[in-house]
Amino acid sequence: MARKSFMYSVLEAVQYEMQKDPNMIWIFELTPPVASTPGKPVINLEREFGRKRVVNTGIDEMWMAACVLGAGLAGSRAATYIPYQGNAMCFQILQNHAGKLHHMTGGQAQMPVVFVLEMTGQTPGFAGQHSDYEIDTYYAHIPGLKTVIPSNPTDAKGMMVSALRDPNPVAFLYAAGLRDMIEDVPDDPYTTPLDKAAIRSEGSDITIVGSGGGMPEVLKATEQLQKQGMKVETIDLRSLKPMDTETLVTSVQKTKRLLAVDQSYYTLGPAAEVIARVAENVDGARFKRIAFPDAPPPASPEMFLWMRPNADHIVAAAKKLAA
Amino acid sequence: MTMQSKTPSETQDREEGRGWTLPTSRRGFLAALAGAGAAISLGSKVAWANGEIGFWAKDLTNEQLIHLYTTIQRIRWFERTCVDKMLTEPGYRGYNHFYVGQEAVATGVSAALKNTGGVMEADLVYSTHRPSGHAIAKGVEVKKMAAEYEFRATGLNKGYAGEMHIADKSVGFMGADGMIGPGYVIATGSAFAIRARGSKQVVVNYGGDGTYATPHFHSALNNAALLNLPFIYVLENNLYHQYAHYSYSCPMKDIAIAAKTYGIPGVVVDGQDVIQVYNAAKQAVERARAGEGPTLIEAKTYRYYNHWGAPGAKPGELGAFGYDPLAITSFRPEREVRAWMARDPVDISRNTLIHWGVLDRAKADEIETAARAEMVEAFAWADKQPLGKPEDGLKHVFVEGTVLPRQFG
Ligand SMILES: Cc1ncc(C[n+]2csc(CCOP(=O)(O)OP(=O)(O)O)c2C)c(N)n1
Repeated sequence: MARKSFMYSVLEAVQYEMQKDPNMIWIFELTPPVASTPGKPVINLEREFGRKRVVNTGIDEMWMAACVLGAGLAGSRAATYIPYQGNAMCFQILQNHAGKLHHMTGGQAQMPVVFVLEMTGQTPGFAGQHSDYEIDTYYAHIPGLKTVIPSNPTDAKGMMVSALRDPNPVAFLYAAGLRDMIEDVPDDPYTTPLDKAAIRSEGSDITIVGSGGGMPEVLKATEQLQKQGMKVETIDLRSLKPMDTETLVTSVQKTKRLLAVDQSYYTLGPAAEVIARVAENVDGARFKRIAFPDAPPPASPEMFLWMRPNADHIVAAAKKLAA
Repeated sequence: MTMQSKTPSETQDREEGRGWTLPTSRRGFLAALAGAGAAISLGSKVAWANGEIGFWAKDLTNEQLIHLYTTIQRIRWFERTCVDKMLTEPGYRGYNHFYVGQEAVATGVSAALKNTGGVMEADLVYSTHRPSGHAIAKGVEVKKMAAEYEFRATGLNKGYAGEMHIADKSVGFMGADGMIGPGYVIATGSAFAIRARGSKQVVVNYGGDGTYATPHFHSALNNAALLNLPFIYVLENNLYHQYAHYSYSCPMKDIAIAAKTYGIPGVVVDGQDVIQVYNAAKQAVERARAGEGPTLIEAKTYRYYNHWGAPGAKPGELGAFGYDPLAITSFRPEREVRAWMARDPVDISRNTLIHWGVLDRAKADEIETAARAEMVEAFAWADKQPLGKPEDGLKHVFVEGTVLPRQFG
């Protein structure tokens, strides 16, 4: 156990899997696979495994994604870290190939690959292209592609190990806003399931569901509401696809109130899916959702911070729902 | 590194001996950046215009030549003023992808363009994530730019853009682009429209050395060549794409030779010498206007500062804007930085014009002082501009109406 950042925890998982599997490769562009934490050796995958296995490529995310996919098809495990700016550049490879090939080939094609997709999320001031709130929806919509979105270093490590060992292509959504989050994380490798939501607090008055980069505000709101006497059940989705319907339904059967919080754009975001699944299975519940408006993120921090869902918005909506 | 310029003249003005009277002189700036005063001591080198190109800027009047020098100074001081604010004003919020060191490229290119008349008449420029030099050279109003950098409601884009998305249709500045890639292909679309409607406009697209690796670079050149479009790709090879040397993304020494593949001219120019850049741009523009198709110009240049800067950096700490903690794959060696600073585009243009008798020292100093004053004033004006209203973020999503504030549930 040691205090580790989100980045360190992810790289620790990758390092372990690469040590075990001499065929595994890692491609990156501008986020070097380097991290440190007090009292532990620095992780530098490029230095440790050499440029034959760990490569810093030119600016071509399409190639990066295609490269690991091709490696997977050829029988090697592979992973790539796509920085947020290049995120959608590789979309076609994930949508039309990673998600479909196993199916289209009648089960022949295997792609044990992980696409680490960074999302900016939290950045006012950069506008549009560099602060897309979260684009989790796009990936979660792709059939055949597991899509996970851990919200803390402990889950990030466990889910990275699981993702690397999974025989399917996995979109590992990496909320850049959590990069510096630090907590105690076990040293040994362990796995965290890629299909289970986590209950962060138990309660019977209301269910609040969030995910990824939005969890810190959801947890803050939970605390505030609990101080005011509301019994809040807070769920961290962790995996968008497959989505853990059972945990959601069980919780709302108890609370009868569901507030779904998204970091992504309102229309067709994960919150819509959460509500739909619960509505199909629970009678007599009330629903509400919060999301980033259907607008590109403006540069002006005044505008952006007003539009970004925060703990105050969540608290107010929860109270309205409970009233 | 190899420069494509002709041998520097030995008969040049030795400008380094002149007195520096400005309180914060350019020399002070270079010295601060390099960590010592060696930057200008090697003897300024007037890079002679590339004789093979043949224009020698002969078509430019003295007034136009002075405008080149003035533009270079304005870009330099826009950035310096911005940097000063980042380092010294705790309340300042703007960030910048620095263009200092590359001023001669945008200046030389825009001097060959028509910069008035909006999208139907002006020559169009598609910029990058490093837009300030491209914008100023194209004629964008600097005080509105300064206001935009700090997200003011009266900024160039009303606070929606920040630095990386500034645009000004009125001068044909189609905008900065935070993405590496798509802009180049989009630019060829504009060129296609221009050819179809038969106007005499041309489209210039800027991209860094890092763009060579993108599929968009190749798509833009291929389609522009196939369709014979009035398209000019100005590749600013400052040796690095973000934190990595360009040899990590391009197997050739001169990226310009990629043009051969597409059967179009590929020209290497000394990007520190505004006259060479102008000559190459002029020739490319004439080709494009005459319906002879696209050109790839590779300008060898260098940025003095790090990839980008934002408020909160401490002067002297981590070299302020000279060092980036993420630059793990390849650091820029200090010797390399100094060698390039010794061929400063400001000095080269100044010396050239003095040597040609177009400027004297007093006049050159005067231009520099005026450029500086203009920028200090522009940023001061920007500081006093109103901030955007929060609700305005819901505007401009579609041409009509606003969207709903979904953050409240
Ligand atoms: C599609 C995409 N991928 C990655 C990035 C991140 N990024 C921003 S600037 C940059 C380097 C650009 O290098 P170059 O084109 O050489 O221009 P320079 O910054 O050197 O002027 C990168 C990789 C991006 N903006 N867009």
